Amino acid sequence: MFKDIADVRERLGQQQYIASEEIGTVTFLAQSLSKPILAEGPAGVGKTELAKAWAKAIGRPLIRLQCYEGLDESKALYEWEYAKQMLYTQLLRETLHKVLGDVQSLSDAASRLAQEEDVFFSENFLLPRPLLTAIMSDEPVVLLIDEIDRADVEFEAFLLEVLSDFQVSVPELGTIAAKHQPMVLLTSNNTRELSEALKRRCLYLYVDYPAQDAELDIVRLKVPDLSPELARQAVAVVHQLRNMDLRKVPSISETLDWARALVTLNASAIDEKTLSNTLTVLLKYETDVAKAKRMMGNSGGSQRGRWER
Amino acid sequence: MDDRVIEFVRGMRAAGVRVSLAESMDAMRAIEALGVTDKTIFKSSMRATLIKESQDFAVFDQLFPLYFGSGGPMLQNALEELSEGDQEMLQAALQALSGRMQDLLDWLTSGEGPTKEELEALANQAGAQWADNPGEARWVTRRMLQQMGMGHLEQQLSELYQKLQEMGMSQEAIEKLMGVVEANREALAEQVAQQVGMQIAQQRANRPDDLHGSDLMHKPFSALSEEETAVLRKEVARLVTQLRTRAAMRRKRGTRGKFDSKSTIRANQRYGGVPLELRFKKNKLKPSLVLMCDMSRSMFHVTEFMLTFIYQLQDQVAKTRSFAYYSDMQEVSHLLNSNRAEEAAQEVFDAFYKGSPGHYATDFGGSLDSFYHHWLSAVNGRTTVVVLGDGRNNYNSPRIDLIKDLQKRARRVIWFCPEQERQWGSGDSDMLEYATAVDSIYVVRNLAQLATAVDKLLAGD
Repeated sequence: MFKDIADVRERLGQQQYIASEEIGTVTFLAQSLSKPILAEGPAGVGKTELAKAWAKAIGRPLIRLQCYEGLDESKALYEWEYAKQMLYTQLLRETLHKVLGDVQSLSDAASRLAQEEDVFFSENFLLPRPLLTAIMSDEPVVLLIDEIDRADVEFEAFLLEVLSDFQVSVPELGTIAAKHQPMVLLTSNNTRELSEALKRRCLYLYVDYPAQDAELDIVRLKVPDLSPELARQAVAVVHQLRNMDLRKVPSISETLDWARALVTLNASAIDEKTLSNTLTVLLKYETDVAKAKRMMGNSGGSQRGRWER
Repeated sequence: MDDRVIEFVRGMRAAGVRVSLAESMDAMRAIEALGVTDKTIFKSSMRATLIKESQDFAVFDQLFPLYFGSGGPMLQNALEELSEGDQEMLQAALQALSGRMQDLLDWLTSGEGPTKEELEALANQAGAQWADNPGEARWVTRRMLQQMGMGHLEQQLSELYQKLQEMGMSQEAIEKLMGVVEANREALAEQVAQQVGMQIAQQRANRPDDLHGSDLMHKPFSALSEEETAVLRKEVARLVTQLRTRAAMRRKRGTRGKFDSKSTIRANQRYGGVPLELRFKKNKLKPSLVLMCDMSRSMFHVTEFMLTFIYQLQDQVAKTRSFAYYSDMQEVSHLLNSNRAEEAAQEVFDAFYKGSPGHYATDFGGSLDSFYHHWLSAVNGRTTVVVLGDGRNNYNSPRIDLIKDLQKRARRVIWFCPEQERQWGSGDSDMLEYATAVDSIYVVRNLAQLATAVDKLLAGD
């Protein structure tokens, strides 16, 4: 558990996650108000990473639920293990004979069997999926519900019970309440509006691309082999690209990939050649690459000369 | 403090941000947990609990300093910096200059600015109590500063400095004084601006709600003001959620299709071939759409809301290709796919008007012709073609033959028309002819009608 905001930032920092003051504040609030965090922002700014660092910082296991279109309760919450139930029925045939050995009529057999019904709908045959795992866990966990905007609206409604009361209802077993309240982080890339009911239950955190200095810190931390000067240049290029009108601007994770590529290639400076060789690490569309090359060619007089030759 | 937070929440609601009771309670609890001593932490804890949409951050950032600001920077005391002799000289010079500027000069030199009550009285004099629109803030602020005498300040100050010089104050002391007065003047202006902003925000919060989304839904698009359109945009978001739920329910009921033997056998391999789980073929109920939108100015709101609807409901639609026409047809799907719906519509308009400068008259017939040449492959037996337009063709050929042919190729052709039936056929309207060639026509004069029409469209009838 965190003591205060400074503690949050320091311990996330130990996990190689540089948290802004806002991230620190919201994370601390989530803990002290026991509320889920809803983190929104462009892809690749470290929303998922925050959950991982958070779990490590407080020494809790991380349970992840990746959302996608068509995700339903049986994949997110629990499922009955039909195969195991079938197998047990086969194996227990002998015992069943004993139980049912002396009954006279069919209705007697049925009612006697009904007494034993609970055996087959017990936790033994319950296959817990991420949400149920998080709730039934004996130790507190961090639950990451990733890319909630991809899931259907109905699933969102179903999550409400889990997020506000930290309990789930399994019809055959009744309501299962969480032994320990999990810390929950939901992420969204904002591809669609989430329902107000869901938002109301969460603290809202908007994670944006970091400022140049902050991103430089991240690069220096994650890719220590890159020389400071080169790192500074690389981050400057990325920020220049983000200001351009591109189909997909580079994210932090792509900056890091690029920094690693520069280390691997043993680059000594970011010149035209290195840039044109590695630009595809940053940009994922042909048109973007072409546009960026044009832009780079036009900036700086000396570079321009070389470019035109 | 609690009262202040409640006032703040009221102010935000008045500015159009949706804040629920549960959220303001969270804000209170956040204050209990983190306190209010550190301003930045306080601000981000308020923001995390109260604001749940990134586009509302702007309102928050604007209102927060008004409610929780210190009321502007403090003024400094100029007298402290001066020697006793100089202080006396200043007092004497100020007395000599006495006039209606006395108050202002006193504030600027003594470091004791106007009290809260004085500021409020001044603001009311300047007309702040009649203002409830943040746009008026700058105007009221300027008026208030004028009334305080800022306009003649330069002149007064130079007189003052001159007098001090005559009285024998050293150049150095005068410069020091000038520096402090200058800083105080800026601080005072800031205090005034915050006072005005604060007062206006509170008055807006107290204003009776006159704009209800649900009332506006029945107001014709053509009569909407800019402010009302903004309210309606929020209403659209609510309608979209409603429509989506309904469409999803319909789809769920419709998923039970024919028995799928192949998939059933495969699914039941793990039970040793005993068919425990039955599989059915899914009925595809998602419509696939081709939209043709009129881009003339008169159609702006209808088109904007229609595009917003369709692109927010993308998950309920199998495929959409959008075309915009004016004098000619253009495909705009790419613009809409890469943006958020609200901004996208505006972008389509901008792109369209940048692409065809000058004044062109609507020509749907001609546009239809170029659609036939370039994009006919977009239409097949599963496509629903939706035309959004008033059918006013500027006396160009309506090309009924093409729309009839389109109707044969597509699953159906639907027309959304913003004009009432009795206006069809008047002037340059070809609506009556089009009416015979398409499967159905919906009159969409207001948001309520548009929502119903879109719902019917998604339902497939």
